[in-house]
Amino acid sequence: MNAKHSEAAARFIQNRALEEWHNETLFLVRKKRDSQAITLPEWEQLRQLASQIKMHTITHLDKYLEQFALRAEANGAIVHWAKDAREHNEIIHALLRERQVGKLVKSKSMLTEECHLNPYLISKGIEVVESDLGERILQLMNKPPSHIVMPAIHIKRQEVGKLFEEKLHTEKGNSHPDYLAHAARLHLRNEFLTAAAALTGANFGVAATGDVVVCTNEGNADMGTSFPKLHIVSMGIEKVTPDYQALSVFIRLLARSATGQPATAYTSHYRKPRKGCEMHIILVDNGRSDIIGNPDHIQALKCIRCAACMNTCPVYRRSGGYSYTYFIPGPIGINLGMLKSPGEYAGNVSACSLCYSCNNVCPAQIDLADQIYKWRQQLDSLGKADRTKKLISGGLKYIFTRPGLYNTALRLAPIINKSPRFLIYNNLDAWGKGRELPAFAKESFTQMWKKGKIKQHP
Amino acid sequence: MSTKNDILSNIRRHTGQTYDMPVIEPAAIQYPDAVARFAEVIKSVGGSAIELQEGEDINERIISLYPEAATIASNLPGIRIATINPDEVETPHQLNGTALAVVQGEVGVAENGCVWIPQNVKEKAVYFIAEYLIILLDKNKIVSNMHEAYRKIRFNDNGFGVFISGPSKTADIEQALVVGAHGAKGVVVLLTT
Ligand code: SF4
Repeated sequence: MNAKHSEAAARFIQNRALEEWHNETLFLVRKKRDSQAITLPEWEQLRQLASQIKMHTITHLDKYLEQFALRAEANGAIVHWAKDAREHNEIIHALLRERQVGKLVKSKSMLTEECHLNPYLISKGIEVVESDLGERILQLMNKPPSHIVMPAIHIKRQEVGKLFEEKLHTEKGNSHPDYLAHAARLHLRNEFLTAAAALTGANFGVAATGDVVVCTNEGNADMGTSFPKLHIVSMGIEKVTPDYQALSVFIRLLARSATGQPATAYTSHYRKPRKGCEMHIILVDNGRSDIIGNPDHIQALKCIRCAACMNTCPVYRRSGGYSYTYFIPGPIGINLGMLKSPGEYAGNVSACSLCYSCNNVCPAQIDLADQIYKWRQQLDSLGKADRTKKLISGGLKYIFTRPGLYNTALRLAPIINKSPRFLIYNNLDAWGKGRELPAFAKESFTQMWKKGKIKQHP
Repeated sequence: MSTKNDILSNIRRHTGQTYDMPVIEPAAIQYPDAVARFAEVIKSVGGSAIELQEGEDINERIISLYPEAATIASNLPGIRIATINPDEVETPHQLNGTALAVVQGEVGVAENGCVWIPQNVKEKAVYFIAEYLIILLDKNKIVSNMHEAYRKIRFNDNGFGVFISGPSKTADIEQALVVGAHGAKGVVVLLTT
């Protein structure tokens, strides 16, 4: 599949009201992030530290992984290593099968999404219950997440109301979020108490102590792991961090960047299994160790999955998570998708206006937009360049390199203000449908300058 | 074992330029009145911090806060009003239906309203399953920021600990904030001296 992002985006923006709401709501989250950031004079220093700690860790990953595994095992956990998604899924299935687990309760994990764990386990006859409210809603709807922190951001309350009527037997026509969330609390409370195993992701693994750190607002990871005898942790190898002082930098950045909260409600440290229980940690590579050798894209491994780059991205906000073909959308998803398979995911690299807003909010200072730019330069050699875009940019290059022509073109530009819409928003412009052009000024800067209309300050 | 070696050797093969660990000493924020800041932040995240007055009885204070709590779980020696001792339950499931839990916090953090709670009960479920949570905290143990907090936190033999900042919450339905997702619907930090 190599659907163009713009085609999928066109479907999303057909629902104008939802598109508007999506755009505004996510920008509000971005603004909440800003108001948290300005409470800390050291904010930019923290971002820089986060970036430096990550670069150090990624380039000493063998050492930190070995240290983490050693400490975790000394604490009583069992550590597994998985080269790819298949190994990851098989390890989990074997753990569940050997213990005759019928039901697994999960807290949010993008890694298990990456590995397609749920369909795999379900095909083996295991009942899988997502416990994050957004994830549970989507699971009951049989849909994937459209955002990595707010997975059901594209779903309206009425849809949830209808779904719960059918699945949880809630009152007809009641779609008040308080009511629905309470119904989910009762429903999932029962799942927590009856599941035979819990699976969580890991926001961080601390090499010095062997702690697995999980951040949630709902407390679902904590509820999930409080009852069953088995706790499985799926952890990407890039999640390891050297020690508590390094961790403190990330914890200070994560919730503020993600949702504009000073901290998540729960920052849980799992160091040992519960008394009489088991804790298994699966360290998953699945392509990550290859990225270390890619100097243009190594920084993608610094990601702490806060989603700030999505919330700020004008293209993501107006096109929604489903318009990207990789399961992680937005700026980081464009890059991770290309690192996974350029052939499959090249359609996403057009979903960027190179505004660089993502670079400026990323708590780990990842060069997201620069990376997207680099991918675009390679599209030709990948045989993925878009013919119409090539035509347009080829034409622009022709004009830009000829000053005489450029000036003529600009003088003629105001004509566009009066041109019929079908001439401006024709099918050559993949984004026109979602965007209004700014009105061209009646005179260009050069014309005004020549007529002495531009005054220099004395 | 071979997968482990494969992954590690692939990492080594791909590692080119290496980077040093930075010195982690940011000019981290210090609040002139960390207790006041802590109270402010915890309010902003939907909880509250209340100072216990000199000579005030903690049990009476708790009852006045939650007069209707029928089941109160606590293993703290001073909490006479407890109806369940979470150290004495056979399974964590028995804690389901707890109206109020009273637990001990060890470090408070002014910048984000977090309280560090090392698991000091038999079943950690008690921190999450109660409808409402009271955390006792010595107000002299409130620090300004997370760097300080991470230098102070300790575990005990249970090997679990959690920073809790206010009640459990979700905004997964249309970004409308709902308090009380899976954990406590309300959190009060009772500041003692
Ligand atoms: S790339 Fe940066 S901003 Fe985007 S999710 Fe990752 S850490 Fe957050």
